[in-house]
Amino acid sequence: MQLRYLCPVILACFFFILFYELKAQSPPPITNGHISGSFESYSQLYLRDKKINAVLPQDRLASNNFLKLDYTLKKIAIGVQYESYLPAIAGFPFVLNQSKIVNKYFKYTDTKFEIQIGDFYDQFGSGLIFRSWENRQIGINNALEGVKLAVTPLPFLHLKGIYGRQRKIFDYANSVVRGVDAAIDFSKINKDFSGNTFVTLGLSYVGRYQQYTGPDPDFPATVNAYGTRLEIVGQRGSFSAEYVYKDRDPNVVNNFNKTAGSALLINTGITENNLGLNISLRSLKNFDFRGERDAIGTSVPVNFIPALTRQHDYLTSNIYVYNPQAAGEVGGQVDLFYQIKGSRKQPSRIAVNFAQYRALGIDNKLLSISNNRYFSDFNIEWKKKWSNQLNTTLAYHNVFYNKSVIEGGIYENTNANIFIMNNLFKYAKNKSFRFELQALFSEQDNGSWAAAVTEFGFAPAWNFYLSDLYNYGVLDTHYPNIGGSYTKNGTRFSLGYGRQRAGLICIGGVCRFVPAATGFSATLTKTFNN
Amino acid sequence: MQKMILLFALCILFVHHTSAQNELPDVKVKNLSGKEISFNTICKSTDTALVISFWATWCIPCITEMELLNEQYEDKRKEFPYKIIAVSIDDTRTVNKVRPFVKGRGWQFDFYTDTNHDLKRALNINDIPHILIIKNGKIIYQHTGYTPGNEENIYQKLKTN
Repeated sequence: MQLRYLCPVILACFFFILFYELKAQSPPPITNGHISGSFESYSQLYLRDKKINAVLPQDRLASNNFLKLDYTLKKIAIGVQYESYLPAIAGFPFVLNQSKIVNKYFKYTDTKFEIQIGDFYDQFGSGLIFRSWENRQIGINNALEGVKLAVTPLPFLHLKGIYGRQRKIFDYANSVVRGVDAAIDFSKINKDFSGNTFVTLGLSYVGRYQQYTGPDPDFPATVNAYGTRLEIVGQRGSFSAEYVYKDRDPNVVNNFNKTAGSALLINTGITENNLGLNISLRSLKNFDFRGERDAIGTSVPVNFIPALTRQHDYLTSNIYVYNPQAAGEVGGQVDLFYQIKGSRKQPSRIAVNFAQYRALGIDNKLLSISNNRYFSDFNIEWKKKWSNQLNTTLAYHNVFYNKSVIEGGIYENTNANIFIMNNLFKYAKNKSFRFELQALFSEQDNGSWAAAVTEFGFAPAWNFYLSDLYNYGVLDTHYPNIGGSYTKNGTRFSLGYGRQRAGLICIGGVCRFVPAATGFSATLTKTFNN
Repeated sequence: MQKMILLFALCILFVHHTSAQNELPDVKVKNLSGKEISFNTICKSTDTALVISFWATWCIPCITEMELLNEQYEDKRKEFPYKIIAVSIDDTRTVNKVRPFVKGRGWQFDFYTDTNHDLKRALNINDIPHILIIKNGKIIYQHTGYTPGNEENIYQKLKTN
């Protein structure tokens, strides 16, 4: 038996006893605990489909399952997470046919002090220097196993320390990640600041040590990164800037480049009544940062570099999505949200977004701009509530996609124009009908696409959909899907049948390639809180 | 070994089910000025029923639901008291859009952000939209997903509690 397994068992015993003690002493009950848990199961049955050259996995049935339990009693919280891949669904970043308790923790929280032992998630600043997180859809979980400490020694000073090893699927990365973060809250130092403006200065350090056994005497086994950030938030506007410098970090992703990396992120927002504007700028240079120097793809990232572009939800607008280029990029995005009509009951709303990313200039300096465009997306969305029964959304996108850079390989650049109409018709108090029509026009890559989605809702429990995505440009292929779901309180069960398009799912700078597949899928999720 | 851990966890669950009171997780979220506040403190601060809506700027059903809740907020609050707390789970990719987004829509709720999903994780929320109704520190109703008409169940629950 491994010693590290003892800790949660001892803790569990402790609380077990404590509970009985408290219960025995106290009618009426004085126990103040909260139990929370969730279960999530996603299964797929793959069928043969020659039209899309679907590669059948050896086992036609795949199932990803997660069980999580958390218990809070006053200042103490404990929890476990159990995962079961029987086997993992196709396209997941790992082939696994195994079940295991992967996360377990003990946490003590006081007003000025918090300690967590076991597996934990956290981020410093925006995550540009460090973020440990979980996303079950793309199969990423880089929780740190170790210790996290957060203290507030002075009212204006928040300190955080982390030390541990990253989770790597069902194992741990062969390295150690450690860091400290200090946040200084100026509104607590100077009373002049304590009005409506909040100023915070942050300083971070993150280091990763991985033993090096090669012949190079000048090879850095430890990679250090230093970050600083400033955040100013007022009533009508906000500004934030974050800069991170990373020591030389030769690794597989950067072809063992021995130069240092850096990143700059600037954000500013302005708000008025019924109006919001946000501008983000980001530049990255040699900034892939991982727990192991030979890791790629979704494996053990230390930091978080999301695509700062609009996150799309429609079938056609999800075909060409950006994947940030940590090796070097410069760009940004602008968002505008505006409510045209003052009427709260029947408003008309407009959202405009423009994003563009390019390669760094010829001298490869941060913020230098070249003519080599990676991605751009101009989109505008207009939303109108006509009555209590009818809502309409119209959207237009103009997308430029440098497939060679974003997906790797040699392709021609793609330009696409996308038109979307989405209508929601609520024809009875609990009955609704939704209808989407979409068209993507392009002369490159796979050419043009069209899509239609219909959805029928019968509140509170039932929902059914029928959709088709059709490529008539090159592939001449339909991707039909049909399905439904039943929801009750915190439980949801859904069943679907259809064909899925091959493509990238990207979340937070890490992408997973989903292979083309046809088959059935079933999802069961349950949340319980007492 | 693993089975033992699970067994203990289930024991806690079993023992706990016999006790009545509870306390919500002491997890910090941020308000739109960037100030950290414990979720527990937010829930304890009032006797009024709280409707906690977990949402994100990229979640279409969440926005559909929130728009409706916003339109009916004033009228419904005349019938029975409640307060809507909107917790955005937008991460760094989109969290900077939350403030302009809600101002640009003129929404009237109390807004918080849960950027690294600490609260979402502590309350074991799988998907959004997800609604919780909390009264006197106790979760009296929850619903995952949104189908037009679901808001009637929320109002029904608020009316009868």
